[in-house]
Parts: sequence; structure tokens; C-alpha cells
Amino acid sequence: MSTGLVIDGLCVRVGEKDVLRGIDLRVGAGEVHVIMGPNGSGKSTLAHALAGHPGYQVTAGRVLLDGVDLLSLDPTERARHGLFLALQQPLDVPGVRPRDMLVAAGASPEGLEARIDDEARRVGLRPDLLERFVNVGLSGGERKRAEIVQFGVLRPAFAVLDEIDSGLDVDALGAVARRLAAATSEWGCGLLAITHFRRLLSDLRPDAIHVVSGGRVVATGGPELAETLEREGYEPFRAL
Amino acid sequence: MPFALAVADALPTLGDAAVREQALRAFEAAGLPSTRDEVWRYAPLERLDLDRVRPATTAGDVPSSRLADAIAAGACAVVHTVDGFVVDRGTAPSGVRVSVAPPGATPLEGSPEERYAADAFALVNAALAPGALEIRVDRDVALEAPLVIVHHVSSGLAVAPRTHIVLERGASATVVELLVGGAGSVVVPVGEYRLEANSSLRLVAYQRLAMDAWHVARTTAVIDRDARMSHSVLGLGAGYDRSRNDAELIASGARNELRTTYLGRADQVHDLRTRQFHRAARTTSVLLSKGAVDDASRSIYTGLIEIEHGARKTDARQTNHNLLLSPHAHADSVPNLDIRENDVVCAHASTVGPLDELQLWYLESRGVSREDAQRLMIQGFFAEMLDDLPSGVATSMEEDVAALLGGVEVSA
Repeated sequence: MSTGLVIDGLCVRVGEKDVLRGIDLRVGAGEVHVIMGPNGSGKSTLAHALAGHPGYQVTAGRVLLDGVDLLSLDPTERARHGLFLALQQPLDVPGVRPRDMLVAAGASPEGLEARIDDEARRVGLRPDLLERFVNVGLSGGERKRAEIVQFGVLRPAFAVLDEIDSGLDVDALGAVARRLAAATSEWGCGLLAITHFRRLLSDLRPDAIHVVSGGRVVATGGPELAETLEREGYEPFRAL
Repeated sequence: MPFALAVADALPTLGDAAVREQALRAFEAAGLPSTRDEVWRYAPLERLDLDRVRPATTAGDVPSSRLADAIAAGACAVVHTVDGFVVDRGTAPSGVRVSVAPPGATPLEGSPEERYAADAFALVNAALAPGALEIRVDRDVALEAPLVIVHHVSSGLAVAPRTHIVLERGASATVVELLVGGAGSVVVPVGEYRLEANSSLRLVAYQRLAMDAWHVARTTAVIDRDARMSHSVLGLGAGYDRSRNDAELIASGARNELRTTYLGRADQVHDLRTRQFHRAARTTSVLLSKGAVDDASRSIYTGLIEIEHGARKTDARQTNHNLLLSPHAHADSVPNLDIRENDVVCAHASTVGPLDELQLWYLESRGVSREDAQRLMIQGFFAEMLDDLPSGVATSMEEDVAALLGGVEVSA
């Protein structure tokens, strides 16, 4: 049963620094939420901590995805439970082919090539770029689209998208956003998108926007919140 | 029977006894190395009992090898040797000649005595090699599909395969050499390659001998003007796997790319030696050695870049990455430079450590288990080495590596 993502009082330390200081967030099943916030506010830290990056230490709080405590799972189990993270800077893994990675990640080998090709076309990525090694030789924008291809093949219950829009031109961004939006109806995928830009919002049509500042959620609202941010910047929220 | 006596006994059967005797005497004079010799200090020589192996004097039938069949599938020609004897020359495409050269013959300049003066194992090869398999690609001929050579080795023997490859001016070819079998055998291959001006050779040596075999190989490539040698050496089998690969760049524009990779399991030792000898200006060598050691295995990499006075604008690079997969495994890396010219670019780098944690996490975050992520990444080492090979050959080898890494003890 899908109940979405619940984050309660999440505190995360990176090195000696407490970056997240009590994040509370609820994303209902199949909903699309957007996180905005100034540089250094902890947005990427949240994304990495959810996916169990070894450099991020959770010091307090809990995270439930469809009722299961994610923090008690290792990164593989989190992914297998339905969490997907599209990285801001996807890593390259020389020698490992995307196909083999996806099969090892649980994708059915049957008809996999066709699904990869189809997903690549949907985001305007040349399919042959996915025949060699994971992200090797790909530009920043191509890597972002390759992440969405993985997303489309793996069909996770919930995806965290860390600045998926940076490095993409307007057309590519539109294609990526439409692919993501379609996933919400195709298999009821929930999305949490971290972004600096309003552009992503028009295609994603989020149910809610959260402003993160100083390691906390300081404001939550509808699309009008993005307009306020555009007009006034983050300064009014820092004081909150 | 003492090994030298057994070799002497074998010479009349092998023919060309005079040439062989000379090599045998040189072998006796050189004597087997000891671990007191710096270049042999990591070899488990105490485990080497040459008296237990019998020199191969006849060729058996071609044994079946699934791996060989798979690799040979897309070949333009397949040559089989058994215990060093060329038993099937295949059907060479036009412009390619496959022959057997007599003992003592060499496609390289300089005398073999001098070249192999103190190298006991290369001298054993000179005494015992039934003949040299010689592949010659005619001027300006371009081979599209790879030519595959399968060296089959029987059990309990001393076996001396010898391969000569000559690419005439402007020729290009891909040659894959596979070594299989050899339980309890000592295998001492020698390769000599001559690349004439503007030629291009892609050579892959895939060593998949039994885990209790000894493999002590030596190759020399002489590369002429604007010729290019791309050489991949993959070591998976043999208890002691030593591979010395020398390249001489003798005229400007010559280029040598050497990529070696190995996987150490159980108490295997992989001992890699390279020498890139830049004898002319504007020559390039790029060396990449990548390997993984698991269990109680160990690897040694020793590379020498030698640049002669006058070899200006030489570009020589050496990189060695070692993966430690077990706390009992060990890797040593010893790059050496001998530069007698100022106007050159030289670089060397080496790393020893575990797999990259972030790359592992990246794969895990997609849903790949840690074990599978490690397996995929190590397999990736080999995939990278095979990347520009015709896909059939690469796929067969990658599947073989994958099976070994998956803990499946497949016979080659």
C-alpha cells in the first residue's frame, strides 16, 4: 500500500557540520513536491542522506517510505523498496554497462534494450550513448537525461531529483519534466524535486513547494510561493 | 629426471638439435633465477620444480575448449597449437601468411642470444619451441575480423609456444592469442612482433591456464615509423603468472599502447614487467595496468620507461591501479624512469586501494547489491581493456570473467 514519503525531524551531519537540523516533510502517494532554497541550505544533503550516501551521517529523525523505515535499510534495500535518486552530478563508472547495472538493479532483462531505447528517446538522449559505460564520456546534460532513463526503466515508487534541471537546455528540460510528470500517472510515482528554477514547475505542476533554509523547512505553499521567491529572493525566509 | 637432461633427451626428437643445444647451454649457464634477484623476489620459486615436468615433444589432438570456440566465432582465421606445436594453421585470408619458422629464426634485428642472455625461461623456449608460429600480413592489407590463435597446453609438461607477427608497411590487423589448459605445466611463451612503417596491430593476449600452472611469458615489439601497437594483456589463470612486455619505438611517430589487467585469486601471483624503450624522437607510449587481488593473492607491477638521448618530444605515460579486495591480498607497484633526454613528457601514477566507495554507492543507490556492484566494477576493468575489440571476442571474454568473478570455476 502506497502512503508516500514521511520525514520527521531529520538531522544530518556532514563531517563536523550539522547541515540538516530537523526536516519535517510529507509527500502523499503519487504527489509531486518541490524543494527550493538558497545555496548551502541543505537541499542536496537531504537527497544524499535519503539515498544513504556514505558521507552523510543521520544523527536523528526518521524517514518512512510507504510505511517502511528507510534509515534502517542499506542503500540497495532502499532502492529495492522503491526509492530512486537522480543525482545532481551523476558519477561515471568505467567498465560497467548501463544495461548490466540495470539488470543487477532488478530490471527484467527481457526487452530491456527496447525499454532503454524508448526511455532515451523520450528525453531526447541518443540511445547509443547508453551502450558503452555508465556515464563515461557523457556531458553534464547527457548524464542528467541518462539518470531519467534509469528512472524510467526502474519505475521506482518514489524519486528524489536533485537539480535535475541544471545543465539542461530548455528543450531537454521540457522533455525531462514531461517524462517525470507522465510517471506520476503511469505508475503513480511520487516525486520530490530539488530545484533553483521555476521553469521546472510549469511541466511538473507540483502539489506543494517547500522552502528549505538553514537545514529546516521554513515555508510550504502552492505555486504562488515560487512566484514570491522569484520576486523577493530567499532573504525574507532566512529570518524565519 | 633433472630438467636439463630431459631437455637434452628431447632435442633429437624435436630436430634442429644444434641450435637448440646452444640455447640449452645458455640456459644452464644462466641457471634458474632466485628470489635474491630483485626482479624475481616475489616469485614463489621454491614451489617451482622443473624436474617434475616433461618437455613436450609431440602434439596431441586439438582438445575441445568452449572458451576458444566462443572467441573464435567471428574470426577471419583460427590457428591451433597444442603443446607448442602448430597443428592447425586454419585458412588464412588473402594477404596473410601463416607458417612455421625453424628454431633460431626471428623477425627482429639483433641476436636472440643477446636479447635473452640471462632470461632462463626465454632460453628454455629457444631450446624447446617446436617452431615459431609466424603470422605475416602483407603490405597495405587490412584485416577486418580478428585472427585468433589458440594455444592448448596439456598437463604436466614444459611447453614453449612461440609466436612471430610481422605487419608489413601499412598493414593492419587484430590478433587474439588465447592460452588454455596446462594443469601442472610450466608454460614459457615468447612473442616477437615487428611492425613496419604505418602499420597497426591490435594484439590481445588472454591467459586462462589452470590455476596450478606456471606461466612465464616474454614479448618484444619493435615499432617503426608511424606504426601503432595496441596491446592488451589479460592474466586470469596460472598460480604464478609472469608477463614481461617490451616495446622498442625505433622511429618517429611510433606509438605503443599497452594495457595489462589481472585478477588474483587464491594464492596466485601476477608479476607484470614492462619496458618501453624510446629510441627515436616523437614517439609515444601509453601504459595502463589495472588489476584486482583477492584472497591471499598478490600482484607486482614494475614498469621501466627508457628514453634515449636524442629521443626528443617523447611522450611516455605509465599508470597502475591496484584494487585490494581482501585484507590478505597484496599489491606492489614500482614505476621506473631512465631518461637521457630533456625535451620529453613523462608521467607515472600508481594507486593501491579498495574499490571507489562512491561508485559503489552509486550502483547501490540504483538497487544493485554491494556484492554485485563489486563484481560489476571488477568485471569493468576487463571490459575496458576489451572495449575496442570486435564485440564477439569481447563478449566471450567478458562472460568468462563474469563467471569467474561470480565464483563459478569454469574450465576454459
